[in-house]
Amino acid sequence: MVAIQIKHLSKRFGDNTVLDRIDLQIEAGEMFFLLGPSGCGKTTLLRHLAGFYWPDEGSVWFGEQEVTRVPPYQRGTAMMFQSYALWPHLTVAENVAFGLEERRLPRPEVSMRVDEALDVVKLGGLGERRIQQLSGGQQQRVALARALVVRPHCLLLDEPLSNLDAQLRLEMRSEIRRVCKEFDLTAVYVTHDQEEALSMADRLAVMAGGRLAQVGTPQAVYRNPVSRLVAGFIGETNLFQGRVLGPIDREDSVMVQTESGPMTARITIPDWRPPIGEAVWLSLRPEAIRLESSSSANSFSGELIESMYLGATAQYRLRLESGQMLCIAESNPAGMSRSAGQTVIASTRPDDLIVLPE
Amino acid sequence: MSPLLSRAVYLLVTIFFALFFVLPIWGTLKTAFVDGKGGLTLDYIAEVFRNPLYREGLLNSFLIALLTTLGCLLLSLPLAIGFVRYAFPARTWLNSLMLTPLILPPFVGALGIQAMMGQAGAFNSLLTALGILSADHPVDWLGEGQMTGVVLMNVLHLYPIVYLNVTASLANLDPALEEAAANLGCPPWRRLWRITLPLILPGIFAGSAIAFIWAFTELGVPLIFDYDRVTSVQIFGAIKDLSNNPFPYALVVVLLFFTTIFYAGSKLMFRGDVSGGGGRATTGRSLVPLSGFRGMLLSGGFLLVIGLALMPHIGVLLLSLAGDWYGTMLPARLTLAHFTGALGHDLTLSAIANSLKYASLATLLDVVLGIGMAWVLVRSQLKGRQWLDAMAMLPLAVPGIVMAFGYLALSREGQPLHALMLGENPLLLLVVAYAMRRLPYVVRSAAAGLQQVSPTLEEAAQNLGAPPLRTLWRITLPLVAPNLLAGALLAFSFAMLEVSDSMILAQQTLYFPITKAIYSLSSALGDGPGLAAALGVWSMVFLTITLLGAGVVLGRKLGALFRV
Repeated sequence: MVAIQIKHLSKRFGDNTVLDRIDLQIEAGEMFFLLGPSGCGKTTLLRHLAGFYWPDEGSVWFGEQEVTRVPPYQRGTAMMFQSYALWPHLTVAENVAFGLEERRLPRPEVSMRVDEALDVVKLGGLGERRIQQLSGGQQQRVALARALVVRPHCLLLDEPLSNLDAQLRLEMRSEIRRVCKEFDLTAVYVTHDQEEALSMADRLAVMAGGRLAQVGTPQAVYRNPVSRLVAGFIGETNLFQGRVLGPIDREDSVMVQTESGPMTARITIPDWRPPIGEAVWLSLRPEAIRLESSSSANSFSGELIESMYLGATAQYRLRLESGQMLCIAESNPAGMSRSAGQTVIASTRPDDLIVLPE
Repeated sequence: MSPLLSRAVYLLVTIFFALFFVLPIWGTLKTAFVDGKGGLTLDYIAEVFRNPLYREGLLNSFLIALLTTLGCLLLSLPLAIGFVRYAFPARTWLNSLMLTPLILPPFVGALGIQAMMGQAGAFNSLLTALGILSADHPVDWLGEGQMTGVVLMNVLHLYPIVYLNVTASLANLDPALEEAAANLGCPPWRRLWRITLPLILPGIFAGSAIAFIWAFTELGVPLIFDYDRVTSVQIFGAIKDLSNNPFPYALVVVLLFFTTIFYAGSKLMFRGDVSGGGGRATTGRSLVPLSGFRGMLLSGGFLLVIGLALMPHIGVLLLSLAGDWYGTMLPARLTLAHFTGALGHDLTLSAIANSLKYASLATLLDVVLGIGMAWVLVRSQLKGRQWLDAMAMLPLAVPGIVMAFGYLALSREGQPLHALMLGENPLLLLVVAYAMRRLPYVVRSAAAGLQQVSPTLEEAAQNLGAPPLRTLWRITLPLVAPNLLAGALLAFSFAMLEVSDSMILAQQTLYFPITKAIYSLSSALGDGPGLAAALGVWSMVFLTITLLGAGVVLGRKLGALFRV
């Protein structure tokens, strides 16, 4: 287990800047997620940790040791590849034993630890199988065992679950997290699946265009996104344009004029106080909206366009008077009393309405 | 592989090509275009076109190439489509057998064809025995001047190349492309015409171009048929007197010019065309079972072609066993004397030893160079590696006879490559010549293997602590072993059967490789042809054993071995 530090790291492929001055600290024993749309640079960043890429600028540190230009085979990381990268000419046990053999461990210890690792991932007794004989889920476990058996400084996971079906994915999520915590591993996990990140991460970073858009715990990033991009990528959100009217008595909130009237909204970005008249965006999660019978502060009125009953939630779409659409999610819906065409009022707490810069 | 190592490989290969590819061609060009006073001249080239003998030779070569290509397409195309689409009796076996002609030396086969189809051959005797033909007026099946014989032998030898290319393109074709057409209401025959054939056209063309150029410059077959009215044989006839005679050089240059045009033409036609092999199959292709009669019919088609292809070699076998064979269907008397004779004969024994030596050294050189080049091509980010790729394929575009001629011209006393002659021993020269000719196959098969091995498999090994060379040894090489073995085997077999270099470069009987020994015996008096046939059979047996051995090593992958 080791802390990872990335200092001012940049990487260009030709004219294309893939990583742009990344600074990031990952704590020892932490399960850290890199999250973002495809092409945002998250896998590239992970491969810098593994040593497959060397940065054009900046450095990578494992604990007190700089590893920026250490070749991959001397880094002591273990990576789980999106394609698993299991070697088809070796058996399951031979795949798992590979890293130990490269570390020149005595034969008895190798076979003992291979058996142990296969037990950990619940594949005991399948060591002699060929890779092609395994199901997708089993292959995924072999990849996990192969990575864990070398007791790596840190575990690097590159979308390891993207090739599995939904049911198996859920199972493996808790499995991977359990094993990482059991071995006290520093793990860096790349995914574009926000649910995976929210449910598994100690902390996560949202990446966009080769930069870190926001770093924090899942709750912090979900509750207090610092940009429209983060708000839109983690969870769903409704976005409105507005103009700052003025401060209110609360330190962290402002009054914003929108097309649906003045609203009180919360500022999530530290040290940012938009001046009066500034154009801003408001972000509002669908589940933070309630349908009301009468209007109050922070409320919208509009025509109900569509309502969908999903069991655990009900979803509504409202067309506001300004013409903008508003998505609403009601949890534990009692019934679907409202029908399309009705005019309804939707309101939200000032804490749930978030001011974001243009 | 580190950038430094990549660059070293690049440099080494470039030097190899500069010395043994560019230099020989350059030497030939220089003599063809520079007159006695050191000025540039086109007179020699012009003379080639003015001389009616040379003109006729070129025309005949072209005609042979054209007819050969058409013949190959006729035999291969329907069977290739049948193989990829349908399940039929003995499918896998028949597919492997389709490729047997590739490993059987065509000019040895030519001996057999003469025995079978000649005027006094087995076929005419059969017809006479059946009362269809009168013994006094035998039909000349091989055609006046033996051109038909040359074309027939070429087709029977070269159709597997077209077959391989077409089946490979078909196998790479995403079945979903055809399914989509079917889904939109396109019936099978129209689908073949509108979707399948256009998509595999690059493959058809690639195979045809190889067959065409091969037949255009083939030396061994017309030599055995004693057909000297083609360019290749005219060049061969002229090598005895190279000093102060620029016309052979000019003839070689003209031959090179035409092959370059054909080759470039076939490449340009599909430049930038991404259809066909580009995409990966998204769905597996399931074979349509052909029931009963129709299955038998397809199997029968395969058997017919295979039988035709084996006919020359059965002829050789009979010839080698014949005590006396003239004007009868089968030899009048069978004997093993030629075989024992061949094993006791000075020329044949040294020839076998020589060939083994030359071919193994050449293969070794190819494998080492091939792995290095494939690595740089597929895995490195080295700038200009596409030039390396182009370079690796160059020997395919230049006919063997042109290269052989260049080597010969440059290894004479006082010429730059004279150092390669160890006294009179052409060992180094032949090894380099063989290796150069077959390098593209090895590079291609190694590169194809590497492309199939996902780089993440190597990254995973490095990630777990294996340095680059260990990764190469433990992960990459085992995974590309079948491809490497296939490439090496092809290189080895072709080197054993190499005709142009062997004929032209080995001058002393002591250093004759198998092919030249067979040629020299076949025209000898007495039991020469019998001995030649016996030696031919020995080499066929030897190659069959090599390939079967490889088949055992590779298990069921023997068929895949040839789909390079």
